[in-house]
Amino acid sequence: MKFKEIAFKDPNSSRIYKDYLKRVSHAIHILDKENQQEILLEINSHIYEGTRQNSKDQNEVEHLLDVLEKLGQPEVFLKPMVADRKLKEATKTFNPIKIAKALMLNIGNGISYIIFSLLYLFLFAFVFLIIAKIINPEHIGLFYRANHIFVLGQYNNLQGVSYSEYEKLGDWFIPVILVFIIILYIILTLFLKLNKNLKNKSL
Amino acid sequence: MNNEFINKWISQLKKGTLSFLVLSILKDEKEYYGYDLINEIKKRTAIEIAEGTLYPLMNRLKDENLVVSKWVEQSSGIPRKYYNITASGIDTVVEMTKYWNNINKTINSI
Repeated sequence: MKFKEIAFKDPNSSRIYKDYLKRVSHAIHILDKENQQEILLEINSHIYEGTRQNSKDQNEVEHLLDVLEKLGQPEVFLKPMVADRKLKEATKTFNPIKIAKALMLNIGNGISYIIFSLLYLFLFAFVFLIIAKIINPEHIGLFYRANHIFVLGQYNNLQGVSYSEYEKLGDWFIPVILVFIIILYIILTLFLKLNKNLKNKSL
Repeated sequence: MNNEFINKWISQLKKGTLSFLVLSILKDEKEYYGYDLINEIKKRTAIEIAEGTLYPLMNRLKDENLVVSKWVEQSSGIPRKYYNITASGIDTVVEMTKYWNNINKTINSI
């Protein structure tokens, strides 16, 4: 479906209309091109239908201003739709940047999104663990001995005691943590999708 | 009388019943585009709604498979997005109507 600008007789109407569309575009710029196009087309259709039904024979500028005022501020009324669609895009593509943006947009929409943000941050901590392993391979790892030690991360040998012999993963540490991150990321994202669907059902 | 309280209550009630209103209008299985649907709500209910709020609502109803939409080209070159109720939407609005009638009866009996 192609976007077509509405033609106005009065250049002032055109300016007001274009300015409003700019605000709409700005309010939805975070979404995929396809979603942006869909919203823009629908808002444009609303403005067109509204302006062509000028029953009171008002002047064009006044009538357009009336239509836009009744429609409301795009930054406000489009906010829930943008947050919703962004979350849908993010959980569909599993793209971490989109997930981060979607969580930021939805942070005020319930405690569950705060919990999800914290869980993703927790996941990010494992990425740091991989970097730390590269920098400091001796003291980073999975150290385990029954009833004695269990450390996933870094240990400090302040008393001169070395636990290197209890490190269980060795060269497999980075691949294992990487697989763990990927699995946890997929599970978390699937739960995020499920949470969104459950929230929609409760509305 | 606490006007502020009443206004807030009316606003919450309008917000809460908008999906019911929309589905009730669509249940006759006539298709509507956004602007047309707003006019129909105004015509049938004399309720003034913030027009922009209809679009996020339609998006949610679509996500829930209660309505479907399709774009229809117009001679003006500016297409309309028409909404139709689904079978699940009809079942849902029937249940909503039963609940609404029940609550109405209860309130009237108090």
